[in-house]
Amino acid sequence: MQALSIANTQSTPSIYFDQAANVMIMKGESFPENAAKFYAPAMEWLQEYLSTLGTEKAVMQFEIIYFNSSTSKIFMTILDMLQAEVEKGKNISVLWLCDAENETAIECGEEFKEDLNCLSFEIVLV
Amino acid sequence: MELELYDFYQQAKGKNIIFYYCGPIAHASIEGVAQTLRKNLEYEEAGNLTAQSVFSVFTEQMQNILNYSAERIPKTEAADNELRVGVVVIGHEKNGYFILCGNKVCNDDISGLKDKLELIRGMNKEELKALYKERRRMDSAPESKGAGLGLIEMARKGTEPIEYSFLPIDGEHSFFTIRVVVGR
Repeated sequence: MQALSIANTQSTPSIYFDQAANVMIMKGESFPENAAKFYAPAMEWLQEYLSTLGTEKAVMQFEIIYFNSSTSKIFMTILDMLQAEVEKGKNISVLWLCDAENETAIECGEEFKEDLNCLSFEIVLV
Repeated sequence: MELELYDFYQQAKGKNIIFYYCGPIAHASIEGVAQTLRKNLEYEEAGNLTAQSVFSVFTEQMQNILNYSAERIPKTEAADNELRVGVVVIGHEKNGYFILCGNKVCNDDISGLKDKLELIRGMNKEELKALYKERRRMDSAPESKGAGLGLIEMARKGTEPIEYSFLPIDGEHSFFTIRVVVGR
């Protein structure tokens, strides 16, 4: 499976999903015009990846400065997808990276964490 | 003087307006204006959380206009690069900021919008948070470009209940205004 690599723009994050390294990274701003459309390739990649993933450790890393409400919905969907795999016994964890001074990003991370149970979701201040 | 620009400038100053955008909005204009606004808020020394809340309300308001304004720029039929017209104003208010947005809506859509806004206005922060979380796990309407979370997000960032009005323009349209206050 080929790695998915999308460069960032002023309103969309960079995306780097790599099956070989079992790492998925999203970094930057996220207020696309149409969040569902922007994230469609990432969701498609992820679905295929999860269907082939075994029990090896996989990490998804978010480092998002600001995201709008429609992005929030996409992120929740992604996290629910990951959690469903964890329930099946897979070893996936999420890192939520944020600037120690970005109170909003920290709070948003906490709100995702509150809505998850078996998916490991760690807020990391950088 | 053309456009009586000095009067306009004085009026805006008198109303403590620090930012004003009126006209067609495309996604590219949101990106550009958002960068400018961020810089302005830095100069204002608003504090991180206040600045982020103002920025967030502003972005949701601009995207609401882009998604829902009834005033479209014709000839751009393609759903992804059409322009829609509205106005966004940011100003100082007591110890914080007000963020206003306005655009034309179809009269038929007013009652649905009122229901949504009244529901949100009647909620405290905890209830708004619960509603936001519930809605973000719900499937959104396939024809919608947004997630239907924008108004809730604005209410959550505001320090007072959202205010709104509908001013009748003609038999078909009204001018819809939303006012959000973000305290420091």
